Order: sequence, then structure tokens, then C-alpha cells
Amino acid sequence: MSATTTQVPPHRERKQPGQQPTRVRSSFLERAAPYAYVAPFFIIFGIFGLFPLVFTFFVSLFDWNPIGAHTFVGLANFERLLHDSRFWNALGNTFGIFVISTIPQLLLALGLAQLLNHARLRWANFFRMSMLLPFITSVAATALVFGQIFDRNFGLINWILGLLHLDPINFLASRLGSWVEISAMVTWRWFGYNTLLYLAGLQAIPREMYEAASVDGANGWQKFTRLTIPSMRPVIIFTVIMSTIGGLQIFTEPLLVAPESGLTCGAARQCQTLALFLYEQGFGQFKFGYGSAIGVALFVIVVVAALINFFLTTRTRGAR
Amino acid sequence: MSDSVFFTPSRRTLFKLSGVVAGGAALAACSSKSSSGSSASPGDPNAEFTFWSFTGIGAKASVADYLAKNANAHVKLSEVGSTTETATALTAALAGGVVPDLVMIQGDDLPKFVENPSNFVDLRTLGGKDLAGNYLDWAVSGATSTNGSIIGVPTDVGGLGLAYRADLFQAAGLPTDPAEVAKMWSTWDGFIAMGEKYTAATGKPFVDNVETTVFFSTVNQVTEKYYSPDGKLVYDTNPQVKKAFDVAVKTYKAGISAKVAAWSSGWDPGKANGAFAVTVAPSWLLSGIKSAAPATAGAWRITALPGVGGNWGGSVIAIPKRAAHPEAAWQYIKTMMSTDAQTEHFKSTGTLPAAKDSLKSEAVLSYTDKFFGDSQIGKVMSDSVLNFHSFYNGPDTSAIGAGLLNSLASMQTGNVAPEDAWQTGVKNVKDAVG
Repeated sequence: MSATTTQVPPHRERKQPGQQPTRVRSSFLERAAPYAYVAPFFIIFGIFGLFPLVFTFFVSLFDWNPIGAHTFVGLANFERLLHDSRFWNALGNTFGIFVISTIPQLLLALGLAQLLNHARLRWANFFRMSMLLPFITSVAATALVFGQIFDRNFGLINWILGLLHLDPINFLASRLGSWVEISAMVTWRWFGYNTLLYLAGLQAIPREMYEAASVDGANGWQKFTRLTIPSMRPVIIFTVIMSTIGGLQIFTEPLLVAPESGLTCGAARQCQTLALFLYEQGFGQFKFGYGSAIGVALFVIVVVAALINFFLTTRTRGAR
Repeated sequence: MSDSVFFTPSRRTLFKLSGVVAGGAALAACSSKSSSGSSASPGDPNAEFTFWSFTGIGAKASVADYLAKNANAHVKLSEVGSTTETATALTAALAGGVVPDLVMIQGDDLPKFVENPSNFVDLRTLGGKDLAGNYLDWAVSGATSTNGSIIGVPTDVGGLGLAYRADLFQAAGLPTDPAEVAKMWSTWDGFIAMGEKYTAATGKPFVDNVETTVFFSTVNQVTEKYYSPDGKLVYDTNPQVKKAFDVAVKTYKAGISAKVAAWSSGWDPGKANGAFAVTVAPSWLLSGIKSAAPATAGAWRITALPGVGGNWGGSVIAIPKRAAHPEAAWQYIKTMMSTDAQTEHFKSTGTLPAAKDSLKSEAVLSYTDKFFGDSQIGKVMSDSVLNFHSFYNGPDTSAIGAGLLNSLASMQTGNVAPEDAWQTGVKNVKDAVG
């Protein structure tokens, strides 16, 4: 922001007699230039960001068949949504998967970050970089591999259970089992990313504070709970917020979890998330109006979650 | 600043999703014959036309045949993807994109398009009415809208039989000859009784699953399905649907199902390792059985399914209303969908014809395969579609079918008690169709 004001030369330097027209034009151009520089983003955002958002609200008020009639139905789609057990089921699945994927993931990341921050760790950069490998792997590839690990008939887990003479588990058949399978994929994908964020947070804590704590007689655990965690609070809140947003949008994992599970993620919709439900209605059944209503509901849910996060963030700032 | 960052991704998701449809329309086209460069005048039947097909139906071979018959024609073929992906891309195109001149539509996707006939050329205006009499009546009526316009010509149907392992049947003391087996399971009660005998003798499940192999077969052996002939929803009151559903529940309760869902990871291996002895065999899936279980060559047999008639799948070919070269597309339909051409196509690719005389041709009726112990495959498939009843399919036919099917699948995985399966299925459908 300050950069723009310093780089535009003051007007009075150009005030010379006989150059009136040029002055007017160049001054207009100078004033317009910054807007022109930022315009591409706003034009593209307007076309691909703002317009679809507003249009989604508009379509949600219709019974909208993409190749047929568009009938205005007011809020009927939302009324139906509130009474649709599939919607509440998808909401429950979304939050269920979110909880069992995020909590172990963040704890794991915190532990790994501590290890990676150890002063005597050799090849630290190698370990830090390899944390990101799952993150840069395609979700589809991850889903295929995990699908095979958890497979009922030939999966690695059931093979091990077989060696122990235990009955095989059909993970996808049950609600909890399918949640665990999807959560494992989500955790695998994101733990490295969060580990690196935590590592950055840890490295930002001045070593003197630990030395001071040692002088005061704090043991390792006390240093961790009284010093590390409070100092890391902004980073932790950031990762929780990012995980919330990611968690509410889980789509690819439940879509690809098994070839026979389809757009419902199983016969009883046991792992269908909100984003997948939206896709099923909009692009599986071509009910654009109803799909848009789900999109609006998802938007509202994310706004509420973001407001809660905002509240938490400001409270932390106040505490410091 | 950080607050706004947190809002952005959620919006983006919505937009990404809406981008999927647009993405579906961006297709990699493979041109079978490069355009000659001369711009064709409108109405020229040899003008270059675009043709969207799905994969796995032998469209490239068809186009090559067509070009061999008509050297002046130009076809730009795109194999869009699966049947569903093709329907999605077509929907996006019809809703406001560049439409193809010719497109294949699979049976499950067809009702959605037939409900909105104004998107397609009424083929009666191009001579389709004369043509329609050549094909199976129920296949034509599936592509006929309530206002009488015919939007598609049937390209193929999915004749249905059951495949069974003769070696396993013999070990269980059951007959192995296809004619005897068909006689013994001429009713579904006979089928269940045979299964109980098999399971008692071998301790192994008889049939792969009850939702596709049993319910999908029984629910199509009706004279009225989920809709009444005038288009009213009757899925929950029609006794024929309930009866078809109960056969599946009864099969499950008899304890003869291996509970292996179609296309699940255990399905193909099950065909090879004898985890079940009977599976569903629509005409287009026969090659799938061969590739899944090459070591069982000669052990499988194909015979008629219990009850009367059957069909699973099949497609039509249609011309969108905004097509740039409908005449060229129509010339392709006329040439390639004739009785003789469908017989030829069957010979080269095994795609079961939809033309009545083609189904009665020697080529189809005499078709056998060593892998299936020289069973009378052609006759079984041909009989099943010739005996198939015609019934009205509405826009939600596949959604209703999926709702009922999902309840049976949940029953098999232990999530729904057999006594509650029907109620759960009806509830699934009520949720889906509102």
C-alpha cells in the first residue's frame, strides 16, 4: 500500500507551461494505472468467483433443469433441505470425518514437529522435506492406495487380521469404518503440511525463553505445556481453521473410496459428505436448483464456522 | 486480512464444482478422417459431423465401417468417457454449449433426455417413423416422448442371462446342461431351491449377490414398473415391484448369497475362485467374465434366467436440435443402424442388435463361445429381449431403482434387517424423488 504512494511522483513536479494536455492525460493515466494493474484479478474473480456465487443463490430459488424448464419455487428447496434426512446424514458424516481426521492429525503433527525441531537431528532437511511428499501426491492416487489397504477381500489390513486368525472387517459397510478409512486418507495427506507449520512456529520461539524456564526449574513437560503451547497458539488456531475449511469440503476421498460406492459413498450413504451430496444432486441427478440450495447451505455453515474461528482468534490476541 | 483468506476456499469449491460441467464439455477429439478443408454447405449429407460416443462400445469400428461404405463422408468421433460422463457432457452442451451432431445415450440416462424432447431432432421428421418398426417395440418406446416424438434410434440392447459354473454344479450334484438348468430354475422359487441344495452340498454360497443378480432381473420382468402407463409414480404401491423385491429378500434369507456386490473388489476374483457359482450375464458383460477368470475357460455356461425375459443396458443414438449437420448425422444412422448393419456390427464386436430381424438372424441365434462351453448364448440373449415386456420409464426411474437397490445392498452388509428392507427402500426413494 505504501509502495504505490511513494512511486507516484508528486503532481507539481510536472507543472510546466505549454504541456497542459499531456499533463492532464498523464495524470489521468497515472491515477488509472494502479487500478489497471489490479483489474485482471478483479475481472477474473468477478467472472469466476463473484458471479457464480451470486448465481448459485439465484438458481437455488428455482426448480432448475439444465436442459428443461426453470420454475421459480421461492424457498421450497430450502424447506425441503431442512426435512431431508440425506442432508442431515451428510452433515453428520462431514463433521464426523472432520473430527476423527483432524484431532489425531494435529496431535501427530505437533509431535513430529517437536522431533524435527530437535537440535541433534541429522539430515533434518531431508526429514522435513519428506513430510510434504503425501501432500504433493495426487488425491486420486492416495484414494486408490488406501482403498486397497482397507479392502474387504484383499486389503493389507484384512490380510494381517487373517494372519492373526481374526475375522475380516468390511470397513466400507459401516458408518464408523468408512469414516475411519476416509479420515486415514485425509490425515495422510495433511499431516506433513501441518507438521511444517508447527515446526515454523516452534523455531520462532526464542531459545532464551526456554533457558529462562530452565533457570526457574521447569521440567520438559512443563516447558511444553506452559511455554511451547501458549507460544504456538496462533499457529495452532490457524491450522485448526484451515482444517475446518478443508474438512467441510471433503469431496474427492469419499468419491473415490471404492469403485462400487458411487456418488452416495455406499448403499446407506454411510460416508457421503455435504460436498459429495451437492455433486450427486447437481451433477448426478441434474437437480441444479436443489444442488445450489445445498451449496448455499454449505456456504452458510462455512461462514458460521469462520465466525467462530474469528471469535477465537480475536480472543487470543486480546489475551496476549 | 487473515479472515478473508479463510472465506475464500469455501467459495472456490462451489465454483470448482460448477466448473465440472464445463470441463466435461472440453473433450479431446480424435478425428477418424481429417477434414478435407472444403467447407460443406448446409444439408450436405457428407459434411463432416461430430459424433460423441462412450468408450467400450466399438464406436471406432463402427465409424471405420461407415467410412468404408461411404468414402465421401467425414466423421469426427469423440469417445467422451463412460456412459454417465457422456450424458453429463451432453447435458452441459445442451444447456448452452457446442452440441455434437450425433450422440449415443445409454438407457439409464435416456429418460432425463426424453422428458425434454425439444432438445433433440424428432427423427420422424427425417424418416424415423418408417425406421422405428424395425426395432424392438420397447426399445423404441423408451426413446419416444409423451408428445410422440422419437428422439433416438436403438443401437443395441442388453440381453440378459445367468452364467453358472458347470464344474461346481456337478460337484454339488446339480444338472450341468444349460437346458436342464433353465428348466429347473424356470421360476425364482426353483432358483432358490437349487441354491439351497448347492449350499447344503458344498457349504459355499450359490449366487454372488441379491441386488443386481436377483432384483435387477426380477424388477424388469414386470408389465408395469415404477410408473403407471400415464406417468404416475406407483413404485410403492405396485404389487409387481414389491414381489420382485421380496424375491431378493427371500434369496438372501435362504443364506445362499455370497454378498459380493457387483464391481466390488471381490467380484472378479470370485468368478475365478468359485466364491459363488452363479452371476448375472448381460450380453455386454460376457467378455468381462472371460477376462476376470481366464483359468475357468470351459467351466462356465450361459442360460436363460428364471422368469420371463430380461434386459440390462442398451443405448440409442440421437441428433441434438442445434446440430450443425443433422443430415450428415441422419445418413450415418440410416446406414449404420439398418438391420443388416446391426447384424454385421454384432459379428465384429458382439454388441447385441436392437433390430428385430437382426435378433432373429442366423448370425445371432447360432452364436456360441468355447469359453462358455458352447452354450447357446445368441439364442439365450435374443430370446430374453424378444420376450421382454414394455413398460413406461419416467425421469426418476434410475433414481428409484438405485434407492431400492441400495436398501438390498445395505441388507447384505448387515446394516438393514431383511424385515425392514422394503420400508428402507421406499424411504430411500421418497427422499430421492421428494
